[in-house]
Amino acid sequence: MRTKPLAAVLALALALTACAESGGGESAAPSDVSKELTKENITLKLAYTDDPPSKALISAFEAEHPNIKIDAQQTPFSDYVKSIKLSMAADTPPDIAEYNPGAMRSLVPAGLIYDLTAYEKLYSWNDGFPAASLEVLRSNKEAKEYGTGGLYAVPGALSVLGVYYNKQLVQAAGITKPPSTLDEFRANLAAVKGKGTTPFSLGGLEVGGFQLWNALTNSLGDETQYRDWVYGKPGSTIQTDAAKQAAQTVVDWVGAGYIPASANATADADAQANFVGGKSAYLITGNWAASVIEKGMGDNVGFFLLPQAKTGESTVASGASVAFSISSKTKHPNEAAAFLDFMRSAKAATIQFDTGFMPVNSEAPIQASGLRGDIAGEFKKVVGDNGIVPFPDFASPNMIDRLTSGVQGLLSKQSTPDQFLTSLQESWTQYHG
Amino acid sequence: MADTDTAVLPGRTPVRPGGTSPVRGRRRRSRRLIALAYIAPAALVYIGFAIWPAIHTVYLSFLSWDGILPATWAGLDNYRAIFTDSMLGPSLWHAIVLILFFAVIPCALGLFMTALLQGTTRGMTTFRVIFFLPQVLPLVAVGITWRWLYNDEGLVNQGLRAVGLDGVTRAWLGDYNLALIALGFIGTWAMSGLCMVLFLAGAQKIDTSLYEAVAIDGGGPVRRFFAVTLPALRGEITIASVITTIAALASFDLVFVTTNGGPANQTTVPGLLVYRLAFNESNIGGAAALAVVLTLIVIVFVTAIRRLTREKP
Repeated sequence: MRTKPLAAVLALALALTACAESGGGESAAPSDVSKELTKENITLKLAYTDDPPSKALISAFEAEHPNIKIDAQQTPFSDYVKSIKLSMAADTPPDIAEYNPGAMRSLVPAGLIYDLTAYEKLYSWNDGFPAASLEVLRSNKEAKEYGTGGLYAVPGALSVLGVYYNKQLVQAAGITKPPSTLDEFRANLAAVKGKGTTPFSLGGLEVGGFQLWNALTNSLGDETQYRDWVYGKPGSTIQTDAAKQAAQTVVDWVGAGYIPASANATADADAQANFVGGKSAYLITGNWAASVIEKGMGDNVGFFLLPQAKTGESTVASGASVAFSISSKTKHPNEAAAFLDFMRSAKAATIQFDTGFMPVNSEAPIQASGLRGDIAGEFKKVVGDNGIVPFPDFASPNMIDRLTSGVQGLLSKQSTPDQFLTSLQESWTQYHG
Repeated sequence: MADTDTAVLPGRTPVRPGGTSPVRGRRRRSRRLIALAYIAPAALVYIGFAIWPAIHTVYLSFLSWDGILPATWAGLDNYRAIFTDSMLGPSLWHAIVLILFFAVIPCALGLFMTALLQGTTRGMTTFRVIFFLPQVLPLVAVGITWRWLYNDEGLVNQGLRAVGLDGVTRAWLGDYNLALIALGFIGTWAMSGLCMVLFLAGAQKIDTSLYEAVAIDGGGPVRRFFAVTLPALRGEITIASVITTIAALASFDLVFVTTNGGPANQTTVPGLLVYRLAFNESNIGGAAALAVVLTLIVIVFVTAIRRLTREKP
């Protein structure tokens, strides 16, 4: 019996020594930045989760630089967000990693990914990358405020949130063109409902629910106020009239039968399948779903951005990117930066578009028709208005849970818009306050 | 290191006066070394993969650590945060409700089936396989299957429509008031077979003469069940309720794949909150603290069950 306490003491001693956890605390910047690349044969390790577009972009880059080989490792998203932080903290991390703000934010203060500002100046990245697409990847050294400070990743493909519509169902309700104001859209929803069609498919179990609220907030509200809030600018709040009105609209639409009663038990993929199967006239999601939807619906589907409250207001829509960061432990920072720079090239633009995303370089000439044409046209408009704003779950680590459960409360009419927004602001204050 | 086993124990030959001879001592020591060598592999695995992580978790619960930056000592802050968090109370209550569906109903069902099937030999293996099957399936697969069964046009609602109950059909897992109950029944389905198989195995060792005695006394099947079967299965009932209660309190996978805590946090359980703290919020200390609290709660419940079902001397 006497060995038991001994083992416990030993184990405890081990625990205490083992927990001299990894160091850091300073943000890292590369030295010797140069456009001059090595002539030797080198291999860069790259960790990513999104494909398309990653694989095609990597092959195209390798074709341009025969001496640089990229050893790419794909991980499914849910595993990626759990493991990438640890692999970046390891002794031999990947040289390049797809950036995920939620999972990798703490790598910034730990100094494990490079502040790319020096490369941004060297390559003049402000030319060729839309300002809003870089802005969202900036952060202060403490990773508490975004949109300012150092640049920690560069986008490799862009996405935007909008409304897909079933042309036949919409035409059957006598609607001939996409709405130009939110009120017009409301009228369209009523007309569709009048024909006996459920207007929306909605994945309330996952992110679909709060994306509806998000799109409405963008449409009704002041974009600067919203952006500041997501970026964690001191003193910001989401308890605004617009956000409240957006939440109330969600409640109203449930009451009017525009949103199916089963939304809270519907996963995003199921909502998408319902829309493709013709069970609803509209679906709010991003262009990342475009290729699957187009395959299922062919010419019968179109896309528009949720219109603003009034005509003539500049367009605002949430968007994100597949972005890449560089490890501060890499031996080849210049070559890794060249890979990032490749993302704004015309060649990359073609790949990004062909794989269903929006090209980073909006100036690149793109030929498209049908659904892709709709998306490209709408995207160009919102980029031109500098109206791409980040998704709300970016604001703080547990915001996604608050958003999902909060909108579920609205959908089941168990919580009020005020309670929903209070809960969001509480999470924001916990992290930024 | 005085040997405990050289002390005089009742029923053992007392140690020879004059103490242990050097030869015997050496032999005993070497025998003990051999014993240790036999235990070592299992003990090392157990210490390395069960005891050590548990101790480490307790240690982590006193830290403020995001998994990357240097950890700082947090003292009891993580525990304080847990008990002031408005999410813990409801999630614990949900776990307790789940005990009804994961433990109480399955044990009752298992006993009922045992009473029915006891003594039958025809098709017994088939019954056992069918009822035990849910235990073999991973809970994640079970959860996904049930999500389909419960959805708007799933089998459950189809069945209700077929018998004219159109009015009650709904997406069960998305219903604010019924989601937890719907979730609970998945647990009932998964756990009942385990209880039944345990009880059937236990019932086989019951001496048939006891049943004959009841029959002679004029007792029917109900009397037979309460007078003989139920007391004889005391041990099995304890085991089954401990296993299923732990499954209810520490549930995570089933909830994660079916509702993920929704709608509007109506089905959150402590296990899910541990996961969210660790992986969504990078709050390793908080997650460890909640895990420690959850462990203590499980221990309290298990102790209570064992006391309740203990045979009175």
